[in-house]
Formats: sequence, C-alpha cells, structure tokens
Amino acid sequence: MPMVTRPAFLPGLPNWSRKTFFALALAAICFAFAFPVLWLILTSLRPESGVYYVHRGTEFTLGNFKEVLGQERIVEAFINSAVISTLATVFSLLVTVSSGYMLSRFTGPAARMWFGTIYVFRCVPYISWVLPLYFVVQSWGIYDTYVGLLLPHIAVHICFFSWLMKGFFDGIDPSMEYAAMIDGCSRWGAFIRVAIPSALPAISALAVLCWLFTWNEFLFALILTGNRVPVITVVMAQFVTEMGLHWNLMAATAVMALLPAFLIALFGQKYVIRGLRI
Amino acid sequence: MAAISLSKLNKHYGSLFHAVKDVDLEIADKEFVALVGPSGCGKSTTLRMIAGLEDITSGDIRIGNKVVNHLPPRDRDVAMVFQNYALYQHMSVYDNLAFGLRNKKTPEAEIKTAIDRAAGMLGLHDLLQRKPKQLSGGQQQRVALGRCIVRNPQVFLFDEPLSNLDAKLRAQMRIEIKRLHAEIPTTSVFVTHDQVEAMTLGDRVVIMRDGRIQQIGTPLQVYGKPANKFVAGFIGAPAMNFIDVTVRSAAGVTSVEAEGLRLTIGPADAAALAIHSGRRVIMGMRPEHLTLGSGAPGLGFDAHVEVVEQLGSEILLETRVGGATITVARVPAESTVARGDQVRLSAQAGRLHFFDPETELPIS
Repeated sequence: MPMVTRPAFLPGLPNWSRKTFFALALAAICFAFAFPVLWLILTSLRPESGVYYVHRGTEFTLGNFKEVLGQERIVEAFINSAVISTLATVFSLLVTVSSGYMLSRFTGPAARMWFGTIYVFRCVPYISWVLPLYFVVQSWGIYDTYVGLLLPHIAVHICFFSWLMKGFFDGIDPSMEYAAMIDGCSRWGAFIRVAIPSALPAISALAVLCWLFTWNEFLFALILTGNRVPVITVVMAQFVTEMGLHWNLMAATAVMALLPAFLIALFGQKYVIRGLRI
Repeated sequence: MAAISLSKLNKHYGSLFHAVKDVDLEIADKEFVALVGPSGCGKSTTLRMIAGLEDITSGDIRIGNKVVNHLPPRDRDVAMVFQNYALYQHMSVYDNLAFGLRNKKTPEAEIKTAIDRAAGMLGLHDLLQRKPKQLSGGQQQRVALGRCIVRNPQVFLFDEPLSNLDAKLRAQMRIEIKRLHAEIPTTSVFVTHDQVEAMTLGDRVVIMRDGRIQQIGTPLQVYGKPANKFVAGFIGAPAMNFIDVTVRSAAGVTSVEAEGLRLTIGPADAAALAIHSGRRVIMGMRPEHLTLGSGAPGLGFDAHVEVVEQLGSEILLETRVGGATITVARVPAESTVARGDQVRLSAQAGRLHFFDPETELPIS
C-alpha cells in the first residue's frame, strides 16, 4: 500500500503551539460534554433548598440518595430496568447474531426479503411506532407487563443491530467456515463453532450496546408501562409533580442510573471499541 | 485414495453468468493436477464444486466410484487449503490441526499421533501452542497444509494457496508441497493463476478460459504442443511472441513474411502451411527459442533493441522488428547488447508455432 503522509495541520507553527492548540481544543470538547453531568452530580449532592443556587451554597448532603433509595418504587424501577435490559439483550442477540450472519453470507430471496423488511422498519421514525404498539399491546392484554415492554424492545434491537452484526460478519473471512464445513461441520456447525467464536468480541460489544439502549430508553417505557412495571427512566421523570419539581431527588436518581454506563466506560471501553472495530 | 471424475460439469449463476461450461476431466488416483487460467475462468468454481462448497447446475462429480453431486462437503472426505489460510483464529495451532479429527470423534491419543507426524513433516512443533495471529503468512499456510494432512483424506484441494505469500516464500512452499505429495501421494487438485506453479507442481496441467477447458496435458505437452493460441500465450514466461505473417509458397519453398521479416519454413511445417499459401496466419515464437546471431540460413531477421532487462542468469531483450512488431528474446547474460542496437535474431527450425487467425487453432 502506498504511504500517505498527511500535510501537517496548521503548517508553519512550531510544534509546541500546535500541541497546545490541540490540548485546548480537546479540553473544550470534553468540558462541553462533561459539564451537564458534573452539574447533575453537583445537584444530586445539594439539599432541596439549594438546588437553584447549586453553585453558591456550601452545604452538601447524601440525603437525596438516602431518600431516593428509601422509596420502594424507585428500587423496584432499578430492578425492573435491569431485568428488562438483560432479557431484551439476551433474546435479541439470539436473533440478531443469526440474522446478521444471514445478511452477510446469503443472497437468496429469503435473505433479500429479510433485508428489505429490516430496511423498511428502520426508515420509519422511531416515534411513530409508539402509538400502534400501544394498541397492539393493549389488545394482546400485555400492557404494563414485562412481556409488553420486552417484545417491542427486542423487535427494535433486531432491526437496528442486525445491521451492525452484518458488518461484523462481513469483516470475518468466510473461508474459515468453508474450512470447517470441509473439516466435518454442517452449515450450522460452522456458524456456531467457527463464526460465532470469531465474532465474540463484536457480540460482546453489541450486548453492551443493546443493554444500554434498553436501560436508557424512555419513550416505549413511558407509553407501554404504567404503575405495575415502573422502569427507571419513567420513574425519574415523575419527580416532576403538581407539588413542584424535586430536582435534587431527580438528580440523585439520575446519577445512580448513570452508573452502568459509567462503569462500562471505565472498565469495558477497551473491549467495546475493539469489538466495534472488527 | 481415489480418482476424481468430472463429467459435463456446468455451473450457472442466475440466468446470465455461465461460470463453468461442460467440463470433462478425469484425475487418476494419486495424481497431482493443476488447474490454471486467468481470473474468472471458472477454475476456483470447479474446485469449490468438487469440495461441495458450490452447488452444481448439471453434470456429475465422482470421487472414487461414488457420485458426490449432492453430498455436503463434510461427507466427501476431501481437505482444502485456502488462499487466505482460513485457520480458525480463536483456536491454537494444535486445536486447528485437531478440529477435523475431533469432528470424526477420533480418540485424543490418535489425534496426538497424527498431529505429531504432520508437525514433524512441516516443522510445526514449536508453533503448536500459538494462535494463528501470532504466525507469519508462510507458517500459517504450513498449518493449513498440516490441517489437511492429519485428516488423511482421499483428496487434497488447493485454492491458490501461495498467492498471498511473497515471491521467495512462494518458491519455498512450492517445493514443500511437491515434497509432501511425494511423501504422501494423495490425489490433488491445485488451482492457480500462476502458470509457473501449475507447470512445476502438476503431473498434468489443465488450462481453462471462460469456463471451458482449453487443454489437458503434461507440462511438456502444453508447452510444446499448445492446443490453441490462448494456451500458447498463457504457458511460458515471458509469453510467446505472436506475429501476423503471410504465407508464401514458391518453387517448392514455403516461407512466411511480415514487415522486416522473412523466414523459410522447414519441411515439417511447410506441408501444413502450404494450403494457407497467400493467406495471413499467426506465427508464435517463444523468447527462449530465439538466439542472437545469424543461426541457420533463412531463419534470421534484424531487430531493433528497445529495452534490455539484465536478470543475471540471462537477458530479456525487447525488440522491434520491422514497423511495429514487438518481440522478446531470451539471450545469454554475457551478451553485450545495449538499447538502440540493431541485432540479428534467429528462430529455430521446428520450434515455430502457427495458428489459424480465425479459429486460433494450431496449423499442423
């Protein structure tokens, strides 16, 4: 491959000033992203009386967290969110992995139809599914149940993540599977014993994305659940009441809801990035 | 061990693309056959049909005495080496080698013996615990060969296995494959676009173009008696020179003429050429059959040297004869020839080829 040397950015400037420029630019971008989160954390540590003057007061408290965790409904919402996210991830991956594989390896009419179906689903704006889904879920009698929220989530995952999965499998050399078929595997055997293990980094990255997608999802949860199955994103919004806004409590809940994403960023980032690069 | 027989084999992709056309080929037990041709000629598709990786549209494939048309690859008892090695990336070299035998539920002790033997042959002992990613291209291809050997299949299939290696390694691996075939004589089909590989490895060479077999023969046959102009140009490096000439017969002497060139044809070719008298035919001369100097009477011609390629062992001269015709000659490395020189080249009687310009078939 020919070597391509990029022309230096800001030519003519000494090296140190170029470095300073990049450092400042990076700091500015980081700040723009981090500021709302930092403000959220600050708010979650202030008493209710201080939320509008977060930056002024000196009184800090963990009371908000204590109060929030004392509410049974919020604890229940955390558990529900975690369970639904996990189940949605497991079930959607079961389909997504094989559907992505099919999209990548097969070109027959079935594959083309599946491709077209997914494509159409992806073209329709996310929000326009909510109302029909509400009616379907109502008529099936699964409104405000685990299943009633899980099924739409799994469907959305399949549509969105089959494409990513196809991309991963496109990057894996199919001759490995041919070799396996000659070495004594069936088509399915080659898929399960050779293709899936090779795609494992990508599949784990996808699992993380799936999980976070459902954990953070608000719209479906808002419309398709009521009192029986509280989930964290909906419960968080319910601090906006007729009696006023409990910003401090909302912030404390939000900080806790951020934890999974934060932990992944902290420990799993390397694997997610590596997986997405396959 | 088994013979392979392909009869009236066809492969269509959709209604538009006819990739393999009426291929008939008999490969004897323990024979090493090289399928060669330019890209898109159907050679890889043919191989993949033998392997069972590609459905056949019509025709029959027999391995041993069994028709295997609809058998899945795993039931055909073949082993295959791929261009990009196709090693199982998530397994160690040992597990890669063991994969096929484990699928056959072979006892681990037996697997170990088979792997030891293959590793010994291929010098893989130090690599057994490594992952494929930690190996060089040459080492990976040796593992891929090992994976075939341990299974002791009826047929080895090679799909351009040396194409991803650099020139030096390719030559080494070529020798290694040849040595392996001598040690473990197994029916082998070797697909390549490189005619040197095909000629050096194959007991017989099958030349394909546009889905059709052009010629089947030993390396010497396809080199010495090419079945048509395509084969003549494809086999041999540098390629054969083709010159449009007009046949003249006068006073019992047959000669061919082009601008700046007039060669007297020996009695062997003259008889066949006589009926083409006054017509144009294509004359083929291999670069290695041209010599510097006057040579035999009636076979010399003048050429203008345009490019001199010194290879150490020999010199390739690219010359212009008459107005336009480019002719390459292989001459001894010590020859003192420079660009711009006017030299005398001479052809060898009996080493000239003639083709009908319409059918491109040899005139003989």
